[in-house]
Amino acid sequence: MPKVGSINQNKISDVLPNFRNLGVVLRIVVIVNGLAFFVALTQASSMQDLWQRMVYGSAFLQPVLLLCLLVLYALNEIFARLTYAQGMGGVFITVAFLAWSIARLGGDLFASPTDYGTFHSWQLIALSISVAMLTLAYFRLRAHSLSPALADARLQALQARIRPHFLFNSINAVLGVVRSDPKRAESALEDMADLFRMAMSENSELVILKKEVELTRQYLALEQLRLGDRLKVNWQIQDMPQDALIPHLILQPLLENAVYHGIEPMHEGGEVTIKIYRIGKELNLDVYNPCQPDGRKHNGNKMALSNIRERLSLLFDVEGSYSVDAGEDYYRVHITIPYIREELK
Amino acid sequence: MNVVELPLAIFIVDDEPPARNRLKDLLADCAEQLPLTLVGEAGNGVEALDKLSEVHADVVLVDIRMPQMDGIELAQHLNKLHKPPVIVFTTAYDSYAVNAFEQRAIDYLLKPIRLGRLFEALTRARTAVPVRSEVLQELTPEPRKNLSIHERGKIVLVPIEQVLYLRAELKYITVRTVENEYLIEESLIALEKEFAARFVRIHRNCLVAKEEIEGFEKVAESEISEAHWAVRLKGLAELLPISRRQQSIVREFS
Repeated sequence: MPKVGSINQNKISDVLPNFRNLGVVLRIVVIVNGLAFFVALTQASSMQDLWQRMVYGSAFLQPVLLLCLLVLYALNEIFARLTYAQGMGGVFITVAFLAWSIARLGGDLFASPTDYGTFHSWQLIALSISVAMLTLAYFRLRAHSLSPALADARLQALQARIRPHFLFNSINAVLGVVRSDPKRAESALEDMADLFRMAMSENSELVILKKEVELTRQYLALEQLRLGDRLKVNWQIQDMPQDALIPHLILQPLLENAVYHGIEPMHEGGEVTIKIYRIGKELNLDVYNPCQPDGRKHNGNKMALSNIRERLSLLFDVEGSYSVDAGEDYYRVHITIPYIREELK
Repeated sequence: MNVVELPLAIFIVDDEPPARNRLKDLLADCAEQLPLTLVGEAGNGVEALDKLSEVHADVVLVDIRMPQMDGIELAQHLNKLHKPPVIVFTTAYDSYAVNAFEQRAIDYLLKPIRLGRLFEALTRARTAVPVRSEVLQELTPEPRKNLSIHERGKIVLVPIEQVLYLRAELKYITVRTVENEYLIEESLIALEKEFAARFVRIHRNCLVAKEEIEGFEKVAESEISEAHWAVRLKGLAELLPISRRQQSIVREFS
């Protein structure tokens, strides 16, 4: 399993941000430039002066920032293998060293003969480390504020599984076929066991897509036992990448939602469509279900859905997206996440 | 010789086939000690109403959560039959209904159903009387989707979204749709409460569907009397008078 930034963390522990994630890179650019603007604002004597300070500052700041991002991108794999403290140290050293070397190499280029003067080396190093520190502190805070979602996910999945409606109806359905079709009852109990095992497992956050699909199939088989012909499932996964990794328990709760709110209240039932495909470096999951036009509002499983949203945002930042298209008589959830491959060790 | 009791006629309503299977298995087990016969089964409320107009059942086992028409609404319609059956509700989980049942001592069975519990419920049902419709309505926050009328041995359903107005006349209430008029025996006050989302009161004896209001007109019955407001409904020639006390709705809806 690859170690990609904060991805395969089981418990909430501190990790460096994934410097290869677009969202992380953008956040760094915004934070650093924001700090520079703030410093210029405190020193400027007029609007004109503020503008000039920004321009002069940028001449030095932007090359340092870009170079740092580039090097961090390259070193991401190495940093990810270190402990948090070691990683922080690594980032500080990298940033300070790059800032210092650019100042040395650039030489007089950055030295303004008039007002603004140049930095001393020690000043420069202290300053760049401070900025790096502030930025890392921000990412740590952000991870902490979002990470309860990770811990909650398993709990919620478990609760959804033990959701009385599902549990008792499934047991009742198994009892309903136990005399007439014992084989079917057996496989239904096995499916139930697998669903519970998955929900209780101490698995890492990312699982092989095939496994999640298998879990979802087992879940749907149980629902089909109850609902019979009313539940039709259309799997469009011929283009699904076999080696992709996706966050644990993301697909199955979506289907649970589709069945409970979409298919079950419909007298004639309906067809749920699941599409999984890859476009370039993106993996797309799409779940579509019809629903009763006068249907009551989708309020039941909001918890599970908002949990999925939070986890995606924590794991993939802007590289993951989650969108809902709720029409008069249909409901569609579309998830896009980066295509991460399972690497064989 | 002992008096031979007629076997208890039982009907099953559940949208899930395995759940009906389970009940049939259990009924077969009960039959060893309690004379009973299964007279039919249905997968939804409408089918159940159809079949139960043809065949009499003493006891109907009804699942609460079903698409199209829930079990509680079905029970209310079944009460319109000449010899209403005793209803025993079944549910896997429904905390709202279960609390309500407990409070009113109405019999229900929790799924998965135990043989012993089913046996007890059927034994009790022999002597029980059907629960009144007003009490049934208290079991759920949801209004019915249909009104029902007993007509020549059949239960006719009138979808509530087709009803234009409800007007109390003597002991009956006139239910008006674009094409038809029906008479039902219910209380206007209870109907107003149940269907508050659809109807508004325009007169002591009349509720009209808010969505169907086309406009308001001033009419004078004679030259001497004072003119008063009346409401015109979509697709209906008839004008319905608005009482003085309800005049504010003219401003509210126009």
